[in-house]
Amino acid sequence: MKMRMNKELKRKIEEIYKDTRVEFPERNRMVVKTKKENLLPILEFLKSEEFRQLKAISCVDWIEEGEFELIYQVTSLNSPLHIMVKVRIGRENAQIETIIKIFENAQVYEREIHELFGVKFRGNPGLSPLFLENWQSIPPFRKDFDTREYVKEVFDKIPRVESENEKS
Amino acid sequence: MRELELYFGPQHPGMVGNFSITLKVEGDRILEAIPNPGYLHRGFEKLMELRNWIQNFPFVCRINVIEPDSMEAVYAMAVEKLANIEIPERAKYIRTIVLELARLASHLFGAWAYANMLGFDTPAQWAMADRDHILDLFEELTGGRVYHIYVLPGGVRRDLPDGFEEKVMHFLHALAQKLPDYNETFFENRIFYERAKDIGKIKKEEAIEWAATGQVLRATGVKYDIRKVEPYLVYDKVEFDIPTRSDGDAYSRILVIRDEMLESAKIIMQCIEKMPKGKVYERTPNPFKWKIPKRETYVRVESSRGELGLYLVSNGGNAPYRAYFRTPSFNHGLFILPRLLKGSSIADVGNIMISLYVVAPEIDR
Repeated sequence: MKMRMNKELKRKIEEIYKDTRVEFPERNRMVVKTKKENLLPILEFLKSEEFRQLKAISCVDWIEEGEFELIYQVTSLNSPLHIMVKVRIGRENAQIETIIKIFENAQVYEREIHELFGVKFRGNPGLSPLFLENWQSIPPFRKDFDTREYVKEVFDKIPRVESENEKS
Repeated sequence: MRELELYFGPQHPGMVGNFSITLKVEGDRILEAIPNPGYLHRGFEKLMELRNWIQNFPFVCRINVIEPDSMEAVYAMAVEKLANIEIPERAKYIRTIVLELARLASHLFGAWAYANMLGFDTPAQWAMADRDHILDLFEELTGGRVYHIYVLPGGVRRDLPDGFEEKVMHFLHALAQKLPDYNETFFENRIFYERAKDIGKIKKEEAIEWAATGQVLRATGVKYDIRKVEPYLVYDKVEFDIPTRSDGDAYSRILVIRDEMLESAKIIMQCIEKMPKGKVYERTPNPFKWKIPKRETYVRVESSRGELGLYLVSNGGNAPYRAYFRTPSFNHGLFILPRLLKGSSIADVGNIMISLYVVAPEIDR
């Protein structure tokens, strides 16, 4: 029964939206790979199919391909299926439409990705820094950000506390 | 009346944990609440990309200080899925026992935090003492009290020591005997009831729209638990209920937590009874040379606070290419909390925050 419903969902999505591939990589997981133009309509469609919870948005930096991959993780209360809608965008001047009109709680996830990867979400009004304070470098979760180099640069500049013996 | 800006935390007597909220208040009324995390941001997800698969275990457990075992378990399960490792049956039972003991310890800690904040000092101290008994058990099993690094890909680090099962049973019976005292002084105490009833109320529709999980969702009457939705380890071989309440307020949430403790005890007892003999560890490749094929997975478990997920990506190397932890507190603390605080009073800030069971390290990661 569940299997049939999943296949039906796959058929519908692939039929309505062009350039979209639906896969079932493992049990209870569905991956929808699509273009960014299709993202909002597909999320809206999934929401109308009772997939009403946005559990998270993740981001992967595929630096060699020059792309960011955004993964929208959506679930339903009536099905064990966990859906991952994947969209790729260029690393240069990375930006994409916000989804807060469909899933309100996307707000905080988009804010996190904006800070850690530098992806701009058009239409999201609350993209202020979340964890970091006065961050000057490139977004820290990008692959070209070198954590060890940064630590050396920042913390080696902090003057050592001279012990009492050295002073005299 | 004049509008004021008030900094609630990280150094505030009413704040639990390293978290801060900027409140806009008019008198005692909160007009707006802006959560301000980041005091515990250690960038674990980035640091994990620089270390090999096994080296990450001492990291992941530190993401949630109060319940480290579910973090270890979710990471181990994800690595096993990527590398196609099947773990021995006995290891599954031991992991379930460890996860449920961790849930008990976490719930007792939560009860301590809540009782302590509202001034119920006696039950708070009891809860802390009872949690310590579980830490004693963990110390005997793993060598560590708070962080265990016990669950590894392929199984668990060592078998149960002699007489461990009896000690666990003894503890569970002692805890059950104390329950009437806890009820009288805390859970069913009239003063606590008045203090928590109708505080931080969430409607069922809101909880669903806002993607709440764990107690926050179950306190609104929705029976949703990853242990039932997608049973992992041996949760399909033991019998247990998913406690729910229907009011969606702080009092309902704490009662769900109390009832869950009993269910956890039930699960542990059944595991001890049904546990087969055998090995507890499947050999894995040399950790320094271990490469995992290019693959990705999303693994989810029900932690003591709600759905805990790990999106793990390998590009064929000896370290994760990307790890993303979906923690329940992130959504509850940053998205739901400010919505509940709006319109409440300053005295209820800590009350509402603890009733959502938010832990700061899990938000910042």
